[in-house]
Amino acid sequence: MSTETDTQTEKQSRFGGLDGYRIALYTVLGLLVLFFLTPIESGLVTSLKTATAVTNTEPYLPPLSGAEFSLENYATAFDALANGVFNSLLFAIPATVVSALFGSFAAYGLTLVDWKYQVPILVLFVAGVFIPYQAVLVPLSRLYSIIDFAALLSFVWALTPLSPEYANLVELAVTHIAYGIPICTVLFRSYYTTMSEEMMEAARLDGASVRRIYRRIVFPLSTPMFAVVLIYQFTQIWNDLLFALVIVATSSSPASPVTLDLAGLGVSMQGQDFGLRMAGAFIAALPTLLVYIAFGDEFAEGVAT
Amino acid sequence: MSQLQLDKLTKVFTDDDGSDIVAVDGVSIDIEDGEFLVLVGPSGCGKSTTLRMVAGLETVTSGDIRLGDRTITDQKAQERDIAMVFQSYALYPHMTTRENMSFGLEESTDMSTDEIYDRVEQAAELLGIAALLDRKPTELSGGQQQRVALGRAIVREPEVFLMDEPLSNLDAKLRSSMRTELQRIQEDLDTTTMYVTHDQTEAMTMGDRIAVLNDGRLQQVGTPLECYHRPANRFVGGFIGEPSMNFFEMTVEGDRLVSDRLNYPLSAETADAVAGSDRVTLGIRPEDIEIVDRPADDHAFETVVDVVEPRGNENSVYLMFGDQETEENPETFVAIVNGMSRVEAGEPVVAHVPEDAVHLFDADSGDALRNRVLDDLDETEPRV
Repeated sequence: MSTETDTQTEKQSRFGGLDGYRIALYTVLGLLVLFFLTPIESGLVTSLKTATAVTNTEPYLPPLSGAEFSLENYATAFDALANGVFNSLLFAIPATVVSALFGSFAAYGLTLVDWKYQVPILVLFVAGVFIPYQAVLVPLSRLYSIIDFAALLSFVWALTPLSPEYANLVELAVTHIAYGIPICTVLFRSYYTTMSEEMMEAARLDGASVRRIYRRIVFPLSTPMFAVVLIYQFTQIWNDLLFALVIVATSSSPASPVTLDLAGLGVSMQGQDFGLRMAGAFIAALPTLLVYIAFGDEFAEGVAT
Repeated sequence: MSQLQLDKLTKVFTDDDGSDIVAVDGVSIDIEDGEFLVLVGPSGCGKSTTLRMVAGLETVTSGDIRLGDRTITDQKAQERDIAMVFQSYALYPHMTTRENMSFGLEESTDMSTDEIYDRVEQAAELLGIAALLDRKPTELSGGQQQRVALGRAIVREPEVFLMDEPLSNLDAKLRSSMRTELQRIQEDLDTTTMYVTHDQTEAMTMGDRIAVLNDGRLQQVGTPLECYHRPANRFVGGFIGEPSMNFFEMTVEGDRLVSDRLNYPLSAETADAVAGSDRVTLGIRPEDIEIVDRPADDHAFETVVDVVEPRGNENSVYLMFGDQETEENPETFVAIVNGMSRVEAGEPVVAHVPEDAVHLFDADSGDALRNRVLDDLDETEPRV
């Protein structure tokens, strides 16, 4: 085996490191890159073209002349989506943070604290991960017709410029928190099982209570996993359309999230304005990208563990 | 600082399939105020479980733990005022040395920040880690981490220190210097200490007293020399001492012990001691076997040298009986001789097994029937 690799490296150096295997490998890799990047590239160049250029040029070619190039799509999309982006941030950030925190609490209780019947409860959490969105849509709309957040939170509408339609966002946040807790718990649990048990015991002997151990030891050590969970949850919640469709229903609502607005952007009787839709898609995707960049280092660390 | 009493301490684990495993079986030890007691035994003997019960990390199946005049059996670990040093050190990785050491005081006392600061400085000074106070555990070497772990226990000024194999992750040189240092610190602080190890050298050198545990049962409690020279049973005899005591299975025939290869005459006194048994185990420490040129009396046996392990100051000589020379894996026994004496493998020698140095154990129960004769050690009965 080793002699074989020896002769192989010898051959490689003689032919400048290229052999059939390498050529095939790089070809496949190159094609894969092309495959993944073409839609994004097409989207990007389309978003930068005028409406006429979009219909008259190939979709993957960049705007070649000044007449074809335009930033107008972005200006229009931004105007159309700004409110949606604001609304989405309004519920996605709290929902992400709260579901990550609850997941972390639950995982701590199920992993590092010793008590009976942890397993059946953990099974419930794991089962929660596998409930499909579609299965809860009807119960969900029933639930929110019973619990009237618009009435319950009337003081908010009185005190802030927000309209009562924003109660929908509270519902969305609650839904996403509930839906996110199982997966967050499972993710945190896998991380906590790798934590040193002796360290927990040392903390107990040092006189720290269960709550104090979480606050002073487990929580600070969870940063990498929080990065993973925050990125994952934020992307999930931000990109969700199904719950938004069921709970908010219409993009004409002042509280409609960005995904709902995006669905209707650039669609008219005359057909679709592809340039505008592409620009809108990039604007809508920007926050998730920023989150990735912000937590990138911790994310890598968390995924590695 | 108080006396720690373990009273018939028992721990039974229930396996997944419902069967019970007795990890610790009725262990009773009294540890005096300020005493350094080493709990020693092979892995899986229940020594760590015993320690963890004292710490409050493991529930007690039956029996009692008393600290001073309070019973702490059912108390939470947080409330016992006990500090423990773990084998893995178990430092908090996100905290600096100072924060690691302050943590216990912050959580268990209402001392002011200044007082805690002073206490930590003092302990760090004592351990020689004052310069490392602002470093995190990942920036420390194994030996330094070990000191921090120790410091974390010391600042608490607890009633009892528990140490679970604290030196076993260190390299040999560091281990022996930490051994001395630990003893010095324990003596300075005069805190009751329970120290768990599987290393009989640590047990011998560090403990005021040793408690030998096997299979969850206490075998013997005594000073290191008592355990060495007056083992209560065959297990203690074989466990304490390195290289181990040599054992020969023998049959009692009147006033002599007989086996396939040995014929060992006994004095009247010794014969009396073994009178009640048919079969006994003869134990002899390697350093008590003398290698001589020609048989001086009937306690000398013709042997052939199998292997010699030179260690500079002394040599371990593995001997076998003459008729085993052709065997693939001969049963050997060990003698320790002066490092200067020249013995070569294959050489025929005479091994003298002096009767004064012989231990005899009942072959069935393993209990000591007769221990070696000693002049300087107090004539005490082996304590169980």
